[in-house]
Amino acid sequence: MKVLSKDKLSTALNKLSDSAEVFVPMQKGKQSGYFTWKSFEEGQDELMLEALNVYQSPKNAVFPQTERIYGIASQGVEVNIDKTYEDTSANIIFGARGCDVKGIMAMDLAFLTKGYEDSLYKARRSANTIIANACYEPGPNCFCNAMEVNCVEPAGADVILHDVGDGYGWEVKSDKGEAVTALLADILEEKEVKLPAIKPFIQNVDYSGVAEKLKDMFDHPLWDKLAEPCVNCGMCTYVCPSCYCFDIQVKMWGEQGYRFRTWDSCMFEEYSREAGGGNPRGASKERFRQRFLHKLQFFKERYGTPLCTGCGRCMIVCPTDINIVRIIDAVKEAEINA
Amino acid sequence: MPDKDHKCTCSEKPLVPNIVEVIDIIDRTPDVKSFFVKNPDGNGVPFQVAPGQCGMVSHLPIGEAMISCTWQENQEYLEFAIKRVGLLTDELHQIEIGQKIGVRGPYGNGFPVNDCKGKDMVFIAGGIGLAPLRSFIKYCFKNRQDYGKITIIYGSRSKADLCFKEELFELWPQEPNTEVFVTIDNAEAEWDGHVGFVPSYLEEINPAPAGAIAVVCGPPIMIKFVLQSLEKMGYNDDQVITTLEMRMKCGIGKCGRCNIGSEFICLDGPVYYLKQLRDLPPEW
Amino acid sequence: MKEITKKIQEIAARLFAEDKIDIFLAWAQQGEHEFHTNSYVARSAEDVKNIVFNEYSIYNVSNSLLKFRDSQERIGIAVKGCDSRGIVRLLEDLQIKRDRLYIVGIPCPGLKDPLAAARNYGGFSRKEEEGLAWKCLDCIQPNPVIYDELVGTEQTPRQQGDRFAKVKELEQMSADERYKFWEDTISSCIRCYACRQVCVACDCRTCIFDEMKPQWVGRENSTSDNMMYHLVKHAHMAGRCIECGECERVCPVNIPLMLLNKKLIQDVGLLYGGPEAGMQYVEGSKPPLSVYRENDPDDFL
Ligand SMILES: Cc1cc2nc3c(=O)[nH]c(=O)nc-3n(C[C@H](O)[C@H](O)[C@H](O)COP(=O)(O)OP(=O)(O)OC[C@H]3O[C@@H](n4cnc5c(N)ncnc54)[C@H](O)[C@@H]3O)c2cc1C
Ligand code: SF4
Ligand code: SF4
Ligand code: SF4
Ligand code: SF4
Ligand code: SF4
Ligand code: FES
Repeated sequence: MKVLSKDKLSTALNKLSDSAEVFVPMQKGKQSGYFTWKSFEEGQDELMLEALNVYQSPKNAVFPQTERIYGIASQGVEVNIDKTYEDTSANIIFGARGCDVKGIMAMDLAFLTKGYEDSLYKARRSANTIIANACYEPGPNCFCNAMEVNCVEPAGADVILHDVGDGYGWEVKSDKGEAVTALLADILEEKEVKLPAIKPFIQNVDYSGVAEKLKDMFDHPLWDKLAEPCVNCGMCTYVCPSCYCFDIQVKMWGEQGYRFRTWDSCMFEEYSREAGGGNPRGASKERFRQRFLHKLQFFKERYGTPLCTGCGRCMIVCPTDINIVRIIDAVKEAEINA
Repeated sequence: MPDKDHKCTCSEKPLVPNIVEVIDIIDRTPDVKSFFVKNPDGNGVPFQVAPGQCGMVSHLPIGEAMISCTWQENQEYLEFAIKRVGLLTDELHQIEIGQKIGVRGPYGNGFPVNDCKGKDMVFIAGGIGLAPLRSFIKYCFKNRQDYGKITIIYGSRSKADLCFKEELFELWPQEPNTEVFVTIDNAEAEWDGHVGFVPSYLEEINPAPAGAIAVVCGPPIMIKFVLQSLEKMGYNDDQVITTLEMRMKCGIGKCGRCNIGSEFICLDGPVYYLKQLRDLPPEW
Repeated sequence: MKEITKKIQEIAARLFAEDKIDIFLAWAQQGEHEFHTNSYVARSAEDVKNIVFNEYSIYNVSNSLLKFRDSQERIGIAVKGCDSRGIVRLLEDLQIKRDRLYIVGIPCPGLKDPLAAARNYGGFSRKEEEGLAWKCLDCIQPNPVIYDELVGTEQTPRQQGDRFAKVKELEQMSADERYKFWEDTISSCIRCYACRQVCVACDCRTCIFDEMKPQWVGRENSTSDNMMYHLVKHAHMAGRCIECGECERVCPVNIPLMLLNKKLIQDVGLLYGGPEAGMQYVEGSKPPLSVYRENDPDDFL
């Protein structure tokens, strides 16, 4: 198997960065997330490939929090679109865990199937290569195994790294993977390696039947109780590797400006507010329910797979300790005719 | 449910509008204006619409809104009847002929005009809700032989707030086998027509449910009571059609705003049989 | 702490039994680990057994009162020093009536941050030290300022040295350096609004950031819009922030929000004097910057 020796890691990242933006898991000052290798500051930042995962998911690389759609020139009755934005420059996500790869697979379904193709996403995604980092030691919050993810062989990855101690086994999965491999031809070595054994998952989550059961639980009293602590911040949706909702807004400086899109969250009251102040999801509980039903039922119904990838992030960031695993459990245990 | 694998009919960049020129503006009521637009070179329109489909209309420096587009056979211009309610619509009401604005579309499934062939049609609308139904009504008159008796029941707050008065009082009542009923909420000096809310007027008129389809659009509270009335009158859930107005941003089933359950109203809707709505979470 | 838990449970049970309250707001452990402790609403004597006060009961429960501001329940609530200042703020802002509340005060020994514990446990990011939470090390008011009943013994404030030292450090910087500092810091904000949502002083029904007509602050995730967000939010905190530190504690990108709040606390103190926000409750009193007079100077507008 090809192997990327760990002491050649920064050489490899430098090499890849010559032709692409390379997003790596990083502790950057006080922040933890995927940042470009070019922004890495020796001595200050820390590469987090060895950690289980980082706080902010890599979705930023293919679906930036804010991105411009088109430029506007407006002068009296004359209004023109003077530019459309589409970012087709190469980018690589290096070291994504299986759950985060699945997040991108879910966004592929949302943005690229069912009629329209989202041209902005498509441009970024076409130029994007995913180098995944296989998990042999799932963490205490991980439950990707319950959410249709194979943490060692994540579907959708172009290359999969297998941590074998002093190096990463380099498994190529696609043409895009071949292309990045070619870039590293003189860095990768051919070696005999023994892949580690997979440690068992620490939590035991059973999602089977949950989507189906939820169909009859829209009005279930359990939502009142579960939603009670939630303060409807948008943190859980913003750190989630698969939440993809966005708002479209405009920014004008006099006669010039642009329309852009920016992440949005179903947890926000403004998200679903309608004319005359009406809001089909005005109450905190209704928004809370939307989030979990979208994750566990609606997306599955529409696209055939859940929108939660089991990464365990939302339960770590939530200021009120809302935990999607406990919600899955509660749904499993709930009595429907309550 | 409608076919979920939509074929894309639009440009390569669905979020980028076409620039069009406003060629005419008509005041419909004190707060509703119709805007007529064409390609800036004066030739044709960016897209054709089916009855009930919408366009995302933008005054580029301000914002975008989903607006029902009035159907015509072989669209030479696009008409949008827009009520002034907020940020964008306020601004649109200020513009003048010649202004360039943006439109993208067509969006949505439109009315099931073929399913309804051979049926008696009962159109029930309130306020600006007549705008989408007007497309279907026009379609029926254009293809008059395909539809049975046509009953139009329309109400608004006051006489001044009645949209499309010429059609209501002059054109439509002259069509064969057609009845038009108009009501306003409160009595007024200049008004000798019916006074009262749409749902009770509907029950009074009581169009027979056998072989009929009712199409309803209006403010949520009106829709709610009309649906109750129709049920009382013996209409089944597969005889009632309505169009939903969720908050929309992208119009192409991506941004998530308009979802109810696993449906995106911008893409799978906005037109639904009541029967389909009953299967959705009650968030409409 | 077990003692305190027991006492709170007893008081809550008594209040339910005497039919003095309809709900009791406190904390409960939700999952298998102690750090899975968070705000909790007990709705009956049955529920009382779930109430805990442990070293992770850091959530400012006065914020939970906002969920009940429009309803009629009579509310029992357990509060630490910082939480109690939140109650004063809500009373001053007429968000809740004093006679709906039965307040159980807990002099606070200083607590740990369950979020840090969750991060460490989950193996996300770099391991953090798990001592007292930063906000507790900086605490000037561990003892409740308003209560009907007190459990436990008074604590001495843990804050040491110059309370505004970090603020002064920043004030020493040149304007350019300071701008650079805030630009770097604030550009990483992801605008999740968690800092607003957990803030008890943010009690407006419609927040200025949710208004779309006019839209006061853009939603773009850019340095300029982010700065506007923070400038406006913190300006609204002047004379209102009760220093509970929740905003900074929950921020997923670790923005030093309390530095801004401290600067405002310092300046409002210097300019207006008087007790700091939420330090004492006098019926009918208003904090600085909450009163409007016709003859207020307005030359800055
Ligand atoms: C499928 C569809 C067809 C429509 N057809 C028409 C039409 O033919 N004529 C017409 O006048 N209007 C129509 N609308 C409603 C129209 O989209 C809104 O009135 C418009 O978006 C308001 O935009 P604004 O910027 O002026 O208001 P804003 O300032 O954005 O909002 C004013 C108020 O309206 C709310 N709002 C924003 N968008 C919508 C929305 N889509 N539905 C309900 N409330 C909203 C806001 O939350 C706010 O409370 C239609 C809506 C949909 C979804
Ligand atoms: S959830 Fe699965 S893929 Fe993600 S870090 Fe844990 S084990 Fe790896
Ligand atoms: S679940 Fe937690 S993180 Fe998500 S909105 Fe509610 S309080 Fe915020
Ligand atoms: S609806 Fe909510 S849960 Fe679903 S993708 Fe959007 S923000 Fe995430
Ligand atoms: S819902 Fe939570 S656990 Fe699931 S993918 Fe999103 S952040 Fe991860
Ligand atoms: S909690 Fe942090 S990231 Fe979220 S809006 Fe506040 S400062 Fe920004
Ligand atoms: S408007 Fe964006 S999904 Fe429907």
